[in-house]
Amino acid sequence: MEDYEAQEIEFWAKLEEEGMSRSSMLRRSAAAAIGLTVVGNASTALGATKARLASPPTKETAAGLAELVKAAKKEGHLNTIALPPDWANYKEALHNFPRKYGIPITNDNPDGSSAQENEALRSLKGDSRAPDVVDVGVSFAISGANEGLYAKYFNSNYKTIPRALKDTRGFWMGDYWGAVSIGYNKTLVSNPPKTFKDLLKSEYKGKVAINGSPLASNSAVSVVIASALANGGSLSDVSAGIDFWSQLKKSGNYIPVQTTPQTVASGQTPISLDWDYNNLAYIKEFPAANWAFTIPADGVYGGYYAQAINAQAPHPNAARLWEEFMYSDQGQIIWLKGGAHPARFADLVARKVIPKSVLASLPAAAIYNKVKFASLGQQAKAKALIATTWPTKVG
Amino acid sequence: MAAQALRPDPVSGRRRLSLGWLATLPFFAYVIAFLFVPAVSVMVGAFQDKANHATFFNVHELLQHPYIDAYWGSLRISLITAVAGALFGMLVAYAAVRDGTPRWIRSVLTTFSGVAANFGGIPLAFAFIATLGPLGLVTTWFRNGGYDLSVRWPQFQLFSERGVELAYIYFQLPLMVLVIAPALDGLKREWREAASNLGAKGWQFWRYVGIPVLMPSFLGAFILLFGNAFAAYATAYSLNQGQNIVPILIGNYYTGNVLDNPHLAQALAFGMFAVLAVMMLLYIPLQRRAARWAK
Amino acid sequence: MAPSAFVWLLLAAAYFLVPLYATLEFSLKENKVGTPCCTLSNYSWVIHNGDFWHTIKISFLLAIETIVISLLLFVPTMYLVHLKLPRLRPVIAFMALVPFVVPPIVMVVGLLRTFRGTPHWFYGEPWGFLAAAYVILAFPYMFFSLDAGFRSIDVQTLTEASQSLGAKWPTTLFRVILPNIRSAALAASFLTLAIVLGEFTIANLAAFHTFPIFLQYVNESQGFPAGALTLLSFLITWGAMLSLLVVGRKRGARGAAIAGAR
Repeated sequence: MEDYEAQEIEFWAKLEEEGMSRSSMLRRSAAAAIGLTVVGNASTALGATKARLASPPTKETAAGLAELVKAAKKEGHLNTIALPPDWANYKEALHNFPRKYGIPITNDNPDGSSAQENEALRSLKGDSRAPDVVDVGVSFAISGANEGLYAKYFNSNYKTIPRALKDTRGFWMGDYWGAVSIGYNKTLVSNPPKTFKDLLKSEYKGKVAINGSPLASNSAVSVVIASALANGGSLSDVSAGIDFWSQLKKSGNYIPVQTTPQTVASGQTPISLDWDYNNLAYIKEFPAANWAFTIPADGVYGGYYAQAINAQAPHPNAARLWEEFMYSDQGQIIWLKGGAHPARFADLVARKVIPKSVLASLPAAAIYNKVKFASLGQQAKAKALIATTWPTKVG
Repeated sequence: MAAQALRPDPVSGRRRLSLGWLATLPFFAYVIAFLFVPAVSVMVGAFQDKANHATFFNVHELLQHPYIDAYWGSLRISLITAVAGALFGMLVAYAAVRDGTPRWIRSVLTTFSGVAANFGGIPLAFAFIATLGPLGLVTTWFRNGGYDLSVRWPQFQLFSERGVELAYIYFQLPLMVLVIAPALDGLKREWREAASNLGAKGWQFWRYVGIPVLMPSFLGAFILLFGNAFAAYATAYSLNQGQNIVPILIGNYYTGNVLDNPHLAQALAFGMFAVLAVMMLLYIPLQRRAARWAK
Repeated sequence: MAPSAFVWLLLAAAYFLVPLYATLEFSLKENKVGTPCCTLSNYSWVIHNGDFWHTIKISFLLAIETIVISLLLFVPTMYLVHLKLPRLRPVIAFMALVPFVVPPIVMVVGLLRTFRGTPHWFYGEPWGFLAAAYVILAFPYMFFSLDAGFRSIDVQTLTEASQSLGAKWPTTLFRVILPNIRSAALAASFLTLAIVLGEFTIANLAAFHTFPIFLQYVNESQGFPAGALTLLSFLITWGAMLSLLVVGRKRGARGAAIAGAR
């Protein structure tokens, strides 16, 4: 349809932009919410459950949900992949969905990477073990969509997802985003670091770790980009970030060890840089670590992930029901409870449906208003620079 | 059994040999089906680009930084841990196998080695962090005794290449013990007695009898240790994020969250194949020479 | 016991046991601030976890299957090579290094794509697909262990002696040769058992749920229980090795008598 095409052109154009700030994202989401062209086809051609099972729907409205639930229950199972229970509170989602709909979930490869998720879609195509839904980094979502791995699906809440956070062709949509944060052990770190510059202090010698290597982990790349912002670099040039970590390595502050629950709980990694929702999870899971975290004011950088449905899903209706569930108010708040800002955050705030206790457990909104997101072009450039210079400069 | 044909056949010696080859068929069929097919896809993929056109680009890239550094890193770690593991493994195995040592020690050592030979990754990394890390057991022992390791011995850092090598020994040494112990058994006691009867001292026995007899098996074990370390990555990845070795790079390019270049990963694997091929080319003539002495 | 032997064994014991002790100390800690030692709650968590028993059963059965297939495949081949086809040895040695060169991640993707159309009892079950892959992974260790073992005995003499006494080939192989390479075959079996109980990448990407998958999951999501699980799995694997040793020894006793005195 023409509107989709126009939006698509605009979407791809936006990818070339300098960078998106949260406020501009909010502005766009408001525009989207004022009933634009998106979705909305009244008839969803449902008919009997049988028709559903034969050809799963591409669009959904609130009215058709009951049919979807019936069809999904008939399928009787859902395969997910790479959803760590302690990541963005997936534990609650993986627990509540089966309880609500009576559909058990098999969660494969909880710590898999986005690449492994797409590869699972290719390798296990046609097998009953293939994943039904995936939660991948945006660059993988785009390449997966282009490769034809995903199915089109506009869930009933599609309208209220900010346009910049979704694929207008319907192959994927952003699910949640987080900001880079500095987590620390209150017992072992008596004077906690508040900014990136603080990390250079000699009192943190042998204490600073990153969750993963920037060559393999999206969260670590984001830490480097955020460090670049804090040290005079920009989203287009992250060399300042790489130099910063090189300095930290030389001074002995940065210990190049992989942060794991064991190192956090035992205190071997008293300071860990990671997404805010991961550090929030540590607080709840490891009381022994006496954990806390701050968002460094000199480098507020965020990144988001995307949901997609397997084009050859073994349980296509269950897959769509999962997406309905996660994009419903209830599902979005589950992510928010984990500290991850869900895609429909602005809409939820506007309708005042977020419990006060949940909002209170998150850092103040003021700092999140400053968050910057990098465009895909900027991310690709940063990754390329890291790939070639990190091993020699930081190594 | 097809091996029936191996019975000495005075009439047609040729028939005997060909049926002997036939008996190895199941083995070759299996290995071809389950090993060569994926291996060949790697080798072919190394010379393709994303559009599946033939290209030398990826293989050529291997000579650039940081890829060539990854090969040196892998080589260093593999050689050092193979040599250290082989030497110390042999000494420990011999200590357990020789006369005078109670038999139960050998059973304990071989079974423990079986477990330790595959102890790696996060559990092994954490065990070492808990021992030699900044808050580690041994570090704290020394500190309580007034000896701050990070001050007195600043060159040693657990989160470095040396630390990774120290952790690798944990599975290299047991692997050596397991492979060399049966060969040590083959050093018959009578030879030792005969040698001393002829007036040979301890070291002379080793130099002229013991080591030459053991050398083929020792070389084989060494190659195994080298390959084992060359392909290992989980421990290095957990202990030292910046450790630049080839398997980690391959993982990053093939299934990491950040980089996405499967053909470069396949080229890296091809490079590993080349390195191991070179090692084999060195090993085969050495083996042959050693075997001659052993016979 | 010779003093040098004692020293080396003591040093080895220190190097291997201290890190395990450090893990033990960690596993006895509680997930609260400031509590002193010691609690067994982490061990209790592991033992009461259904996934733990379920996956360990699968992995053990898989290991036994892999050992049996490997021995059936490699022992006769190595025997033949050492007896009749010595020129084949370097070729097989070279092939034995290939599993090291093909990264597991590449192997599993290649295998999954190659065998995609095969029936479910092979492709969809760990007993088919995984066992097949694990035999290949065990191949280098099997080869070099068995090679060292076959070297240390006089294959030609034993075979000729056995045949001259009228034994057919199966008898020669199972009752004369096998007992003599018992320790090498056992070592190879230990290594295979340990490999299967430790292999993660292939099982993970092929979406099977084995013990190493459970281990990795706990290591990446739980703190103190991970230490408990590490030690428990260490002990369990060690127990399995010891029982393999006992089983091997029982059979060996008879064989040694046949092979004659050293």
